[in-house]
Amino acid sequence: MAAVVRRNSSSSSSDRRPEPNLLARVSNSQIVAKGKQVSSDAAFVAKKLLRSTGKAAWIAGTTFLILAVPLIIEMDREAQYNDLELQQQSLLGVGAPPQK
Amino acid sequence: MAGQAPPGVLGQAAAQSDSKIDEVKKKVDYLDLPTPIPYEEIHRESLMSLKPEFFEGLRFDFSKGLNQNFSLSHSVLMGPMELPSQGGETFKTPIANYEFGANYADPKLMLVGRVLTDGRLNARVKWDITDDIGLRANAQLTSEPHMSHCIAHIDYKRKNWRSQFQFGNGALLGMTYIQTVTPNLALGGEVFWAGVPRKSGVGYAARYETDKMVATGQVASTGMVALSYVQKISQKVLLATEFMYNYLSRDATASVGYDYQLRQARVRGKIDSNGCVSAFLEERLNPGLIFLLSAEMDHKKKDYKFGFGLTVG
Repeated sequence: MAAVVRRNSSSSSSDRRPEPNLLARVSNSQIVAKGKQVSSDAAFVAKKLLRSTGKAAWIAGTTFLILAVPLIIEMDREAQYNDLELQQQSLLGVGAPPQK
Repeated sequence: MAGQAPPGVLGQAAAQSDSKIDEVKKKVDYLDLPTPIPYEEIHRESLMSLKPEFFEGLRFDFSKGLNQNFSLSHSVLMGPMELPSQGGETFKTPIANYEFGANYADPKLMLVGRVLTDGRLNARVKWDITDDIGLRANAQLTSEPHMSHCIAHIDYKRKNWRSQFQFGNGALLGMTYIQTVTPNLALGGEVFWAGVPRKSGVGYAARYETDKMVATGQVASTGMVALSYVQKISQKVLLATEFMYNYLSRDATASVGYDYQLRQARVRGKIDSNGCVSAFLEERLNPGLIFLLSAEMDHKKKDYKFGFGLTVG
C-alpha cells in the first residue's frame, strides 16, 4: 500500500500529462491487484470466521441454557433449603444437645 | 447435625463391614448368587437417566385413587405431532388427545387399561402366579387394520437365573435367559423368531454392576450393538453414557447425560453425537403436584421441541 501511495505522489509532482495513464497503470499494476485480492480474501475469511464463531457461540449458548441453567437454579434452591434446615436445626439445637 | 453425625458414621461403618462380610461369603459360595434383573431391563439405569419421556406442547395428568387398589387417571396432551411425509422430511400438525385410564393394583395382580380419543386402546396385565412364575401381557388395539398387536411373557425365576418366554401375534416367539455368574456379573442370551416378517435372531448381553457403577453391553444379530456405562457419583447424582451402533446400517450414536435427584426436583440432561441436546426437569411443587419441563433441541435438523406439563395426584 505504501508503495502505491509513494508512486502516486511522485507522479503528481513530476508532470500532469501521463497522469491518467499512470493512474491506470498503477491501478492495473500487479501490486494493487494483489492487494485487492488479499483484502477481499481477508474480508471473506473474516466474514466466514465471524459467522462460524457466531454460530458456535449460538450453539454453545443455547446448549448451556438448556443443560446447565435449570441444574444451577435447582442446585441453588437445594442449597437454600439445606441452609434453612441447618439454621432451623441450630435454632432448635440450643435445647437439643440432650439428643446426643 | 453435629449430634447426628457420629451414629450415621457408625451405621455406615457397620453397614460397610456387613457388606464386606457378605462379599466374602458370596465369594466363597458361588451357588448362592443373587437373582439377576430381567433380560430386557439390563439397560435400566442408563435408560432411566438418558431417555425420559420427552414431549412437546402441553400435558396434564391427573390420577385419583378411588380406593386402595383401584385408581382412575385422566390425561390431556395438546401439541404438535410429527407426521412423516414423503421426502424424508417431517412436518407437524397440531393434535389434542384425551386419555382415560383405569388401574387396578394388588401385590399379586396389576391391571392397566388406557383408552385414547382417537380409538387406541392399550391394556396391560401383570400377574404373579406364584413366587417364581409371573405372567405379563400387553395388548394394543387400534382402529387401523394390521396395527393392533399383543404380546405375552411368562417369566420364570430361580435363585440365580431368570428366563422368559414370549409369544405374540404375527407368530412371534422368543426366549431369554439371564444368569448371575459372579456377584457382580450377569450374562444372558435371547432367541426370537417372528413368522410374519419372517425374521429370526439371537442376542447376547452382559451386565457388570457394583455399588459405584453399572456397565452393560448387548449384541444382537439384528445388527444392534448397545453399550452403556453409568457412574453413581453419589446417591443423588448419576452420570451415564451410552453408545449405540448398528453394524448392518453402519450408524452410530453416542450420548452423555446426567441425572440429578434433588429434594424438590429431578433434572436430567443429555447431549448426543447427532447434535441433539435435551433436558427434562421435574419439579415437585407440592406433595402430589409435579411440574414438568421438557426441552429437546436438534441443531443439525433445526428442530426445537419444548413442552410443559403438570402431574397431579
